[in-house]
Amino acid sequence: METESAIKTTETLPSHQERQLVEQVLSKDRKATAEFVAFCTDSVYSFVRKRLLPRVELVEDVMQEILLAAWQSLPKFRRDASLRSWILAIARHKVDDYYRRRLRETDITEEGELSAEPAIEPLLDRHLDAAAEQDRVERTLALLPEAYTLALIWRYRDEKSVREMAQLSGKTEKAMERLLARARESFRKEWTLAQS
Amino acid sequence: MPSPDKTERQWQTLLAGDEESWESAPSSLKARLYSALIRSQQETGPLASLDVSVADGHDVCVFEKLVQIAPVGDAAKSPFFCTACHARILAEHFDNPPIFWAHCPYVQFKA
Repeated sequence: METESAIKTTETLPSHQERQLVEQVLSKDRKATAEFVAFCTDSVYSFVRKRLLPRVELVEDVMQEILLAAWQSLPKFRRDASLRSWILAIARHKVDDYYRRRLRETDITEEGELSAEPAIEPLLDRHLDAAAEQDRVERTLALLPEAYTLALIWRYRDEKSVREMAQLSGKTEKAMERLLARARESFRKEWTLAQS
Repeated sequence: MPSPDKTERQWQTLLAGDEESWESAPSSLKARLYSALIRSQQETGPLASLDVSVADGHDVCVFEKLVQIAPVGDAAKSPFFCTACHARILAEHFDNPPIFWAHCPYVQFKA
């Protein structure tokens, strides 16, 4: 048996180690459960945090939902994918649930015509390196109303189609297009303000 | 005016985020999640005995060892003893808490 210190949480586990870990967690071995928590938490923490920013206070609740869902579904884990991919799939599902709930609660009007938008290329500051630009994107997103941030991340970071977003949040496609247009406009304003 | 497709791609590029960058979770978060998961496991019956953990090749902390070698039945070796340990409380409230004894699961989270 590999000892706890042998598990590097940044890597995918070898399949024999993964099988052993799953079996021991299912038998409620507390030590294996600690390894499982460390591995799963490190596997999905960055993913979850990046999708809930700036609402960092929600990260723990969502992480707990993910861990408990993983424990409840563990008997069905078939090892078609690695444990890391499996836990990431659960995390995606839980984050989608959160987005869906929040956008469902948001009133979105369908009124008004969608006008052509200016190019966003001028938004990109060629002098910023990738890390600085990323930091600025996150800071700008944090300034927007929550529904705008969620819509932009769902559409452009998670690459959800407008149709999927509309279906999942119980809105029409037109309403979702409107929300995204307003979110982009708001982002553009905040980005430009920060520049001046 | 750019085409809608080009605009969408530009937004995607700008907002995609850096999926490559990876950050370890804070140790206090892992500690709280571990305690919560153990509570959830206990809802459907007792944990595996410490004898099982040792037989599986896991090391136990000095307090768990005292229980594990005691001439008592499995039922007495199944409770989650960390509930009563100050190491758990420290670990749940502070990142990299000052706990130094070996094989405590809450110490493992500091790595």
